[in-house]
Order: sequence, then C-alpha cells, then structure tokens
Amino acid sequence: MQDTSLTGLFVSLTDRIGLNYEFLATGYEAQIWRDGFVTTLYLIAFLIPVSLIFGLLFAACLTSGKTWLSAPVRAFVEITRNTPTLVQLMFSFLVLNTFVSNLVGGAQNNPLSPFFWVVAVVGLHIAALHAEAIRAGIEAVPASTIEAARGIGFNQWQILRFVEVPLAFRASLPSIVNNLINLVKLTTVGNAIAVSEITYASIMVWTQRDNVVSLMIVILLFFSLINLIVARVGLWVERKLAVPGYGL
Amino acid sequence: MTTASLSISSGSNRILRNGGFLALPLIILVWSLADPTLGREVLQWIPYLASGFMMNIVIAVLAMALGTLVGTIFGILQLVPYRLVRYPVIGYVQLFRNAPHLVLIFATTYIFPFEIVIFGNYLPFPDWVKAVIGLAIPASAYIAEITRGAILSIPTTQWEAGKGLGFSRNQSLRWIILPQCLRRSLPPWMNVAASITMGTALASLVGVHELLHAATDASTAVRRMDFTIIAYIVVMAAFFLLCYPISRLTRRLEARFKAA
Repeated sequence: MQDTSLTGLFVSLTDRIGLNYEFLATGYEAQIWRDGFVTTLYLIAFLIPVSLIFGLLFAACLTSGKTWLSAPVRAFVEITRNTPTLVQLMFSFLVLNTFVSNLVGGAQNNPLSPFFWVVAVVGLHIAALHAEAIRAGIEAVPASTIEAARGIGFNQWQILRFVEVPLAFRASLPSIVNNLINLVKLTTVGNAIAVSEITYASIMVWTQRDNVVSLMIVILLFFSLINLIVARVGLWVERKLAVPGYGL
Repeated sequence: MTTASLSISSGSNRILRNGGFLALPLIILVWSLADPTLGREVLQWIPYLASGFMMNIVIAVLAMALGTLVGTIFGILQLVPYRLVRYPVIGYVQLFRNAPHLVLIFATTYIFPFEIVIFGNYLPFPDWVKAVIGLAIPASAYIAEITRGAILSIPTTQWEAGKGLGFSRNQSLRWIILPQCLRRSLPPWMNVAASITMGTALASLVGVHELLHAATDASTAVRRMDFTIIAYIVVMAAFFLLCYPISRLTRRLEARFKAA
C-alpha cells in the first residue's frame, strides 16, 4: 500500500515539472518497463564473464606463436573490431540462426533465443577488444621475467598461467574496464532483434504514452549509474591487485 | 633464431593482414562468379546498396564535423576557471559519454519534431539529420575528453613560457597549446571517427535509408537465402574497407608518437 502511495507522490511531483510518469501507476506498462531494466542487467551480468573468458582465450591464441592458431583469431578480431556490432548481430540472427533452425528441423525446435544471440555476438565483440588489450599487456611483460620463469623450470603453459597473465591482466585492466563500459552500452543493440531490454521496453511505453523525454532521462541516468559502478569496481580491483614497484 | 622466427612471423603477418583486407570482397566475387544467377542479383542490387552506404558516409562525416566543433569547445570549457561554466559542461560530457549511441539516436529521433518553422516557412527535419545530431552528441562528449586530456598533457612550463613572451591566457591557448594538442589527439580522434562510422548502422533502426536498411530491403525483396548471406557480407565488407584502414593508420600513428 505504501509503495503505491510513494509512486503516486512521485508521479504527481514529476507531473508538476512537466514530466509524465503516469504509466508507473498502471500495472501492465510499469511491469514491462521494470522487466526491461532487469533484462538489461541480466544481459550485462551474462556478458561480462563471457567476454572476459573468451578475451583471455583469444589473447592466448594470439600470443601462442602458432600461426594456425593465431591467424584465424587475428582475422576474427579484425573483422569484429571493424564492422558494426549491429550488422554482426543481424547477420548472426538472420543467417546463422536460420541455419540452426533448419538443422534442428523448424524454428519451433530452435533452442537459441534472441537473448542468446545478443550474448554471443556482443560477448565475442567485446572479447576481441579484450584480447587486443591483454595481448598488448602480455607483450609488455619484460623478456627477462619470462626467461627467469623458464630458468626455474616453468613450461609454456605455466609461464602463461603464472607469469604472463597475472602481469598482463594488471597492465591491461584500464583498457578492459573501458571495454566493459562499451559492453554496457552495446547491450542496447538487442533492441534490433526484439530482446526486451530497456530501450525496447521504453519504446513499448512511449508509443502509448508519448513521454519520450521523461523515459529518456531515466534511461540516461540508468546507464550513467551502471557505468559509474563498473568504473568504480574496475578502479577498486586495480588498486587491490596493484603490485608495489611494478607498472605505473 | 628468435629474431629469425620473429621476422618470419611478422612477414607472414603482413601478408595475412593485407590479404585479410581483401578477403571479404574476394568471398563476394568468387561466390558471385560461381553462381551466375546469384551474381546477377548482386550486380543488380549493388547501386541500391551503394546509395545506402553514401548515406552512412554523409552521416558519419557530418556527425564528426559537428562533434569535433562542439567537442573542442567543450573540452576547453571543461578547464575554464569559472565553476558556473565548468560544472554543466562536465555533467554533459559524463552523461553522454556513458550513454549508448542507440539511446541517443532514439532520443533525437523521437524528441525533435518532423518539421521546423522558420519565419513561417515549414522546413522538413528528416530522420537522417536527427541521426547526425544523435551521433554528434556522443562524438562531442568523447572529443571534449580527448581535448581536455591533450591540453592537460602539455607541460605547465609551456603556459609559463607563453606568459613570459607576453601572450595572454587565450593567446597562449590558441597559438601555443592547441597546435600541440592537435598532434596528440589525432589517434584517439580517429578511434572516435571509426566508432561513429560504425554507429551510423544504428540509424537503420529508426528508419534511415542507409546500408544495413538497404541490405534488409534487398534481402526481403529477393527472398533467397544465399542472397541474404551475401548481402550482409557486402555490408560487412563495406564497413570493413572503410574502418580497417582508419584503425591501421591509428595504430601506426600511436606507435610513431610513442617512439618520438
């Protein structure tokens, strides 16, 4: 009961300064909008680990020194970085998804949802950017450190796991946080294939209510808040992991 | 031995890189030749797709021009000693730097009217102009940060030397500081340009007739699976051919400036 009265108070207060949030008092549209925020948060929560895992994998391939491993990944990274994510998403959804549908015999059997395709495409896109950042970090690890590790009997994998990645991760953390902020912003392309994230949900509301400005203010503040949190967490991790006397 | 293998791998990398640049157009060419009926369709639709791509380029160029102008001014304003000016500008930059491009394109498309009245004349306000403004906003926010960073990276002694030579603060900025900023901010500016160029594809979602929109039109008109695939490969190839040289050049400039 108190919740509704608070909503009512908010609606009447914002109405006085010319903003229209009347839909919050209705059940259906408010529900769509809330779900939009939740879906965006879900996308972000799925995408961050996916992009980091694949970014690390790509970076390992790029620095492996084996051409059959690094060349395909290099090609993928360059194509992903230099074509719009929206085009990749449309291509994946309209072409690859249709292939999968045909393979399993009809769209009704297709287990891959639009949500999956957004996570896959945006995740791999950001993973490509992470890979470049981590690769630069790995190349910045001093050769003498690696020689020392080899000298005490580490094999190639151990050097990567215990020497290169921990140091490279620290060096590339600022770029990674930057990429994660891009990731948060890229979740909105899900709109194109009807994933009901926040922009899609907002379109549903504002076509009925014609209150674009009111919704836009909330969306912009929402993304600013998420990106502020991502940047702050990144800074915290950076401080936490800082090695005294190494790097900047 | 290490140097030899390194130079070999960098040599093969160069071949891969330059060959990779043409890989997408080659796929299109080979596939079109292998299946003449498909090739004829592609040939028929290429002018339509090209007209869409022209729109992308126009939007990107105008958005970058507007964004650079506003962004440079805002970058300078972020450093003025008056709080009343500085804080709103910092707020603008932070808000729009963190906002998704798509949200800003939606904002400008749905908030601005479809026509404007100037002295009783009705001027149409087409969607693509709104997309230009929608992309110029984040561009200006990024460029404001780039400009601010570049100005701050110039040693204070330069300002002092300017003062010593009798330059006022504004004159120092104009004749001593900004020319040096130009060089430092070129690589990040090119990154923004590439990102905005790719952002123009988002305009298709608000109905602007650009390349992605044209490709969707074409594939719904032809209704052939292989044509749909090749149409999207054409879209990717077009953006790739435009953005890849920019990003290569950016990386080369970055490396050269770092060495200098």
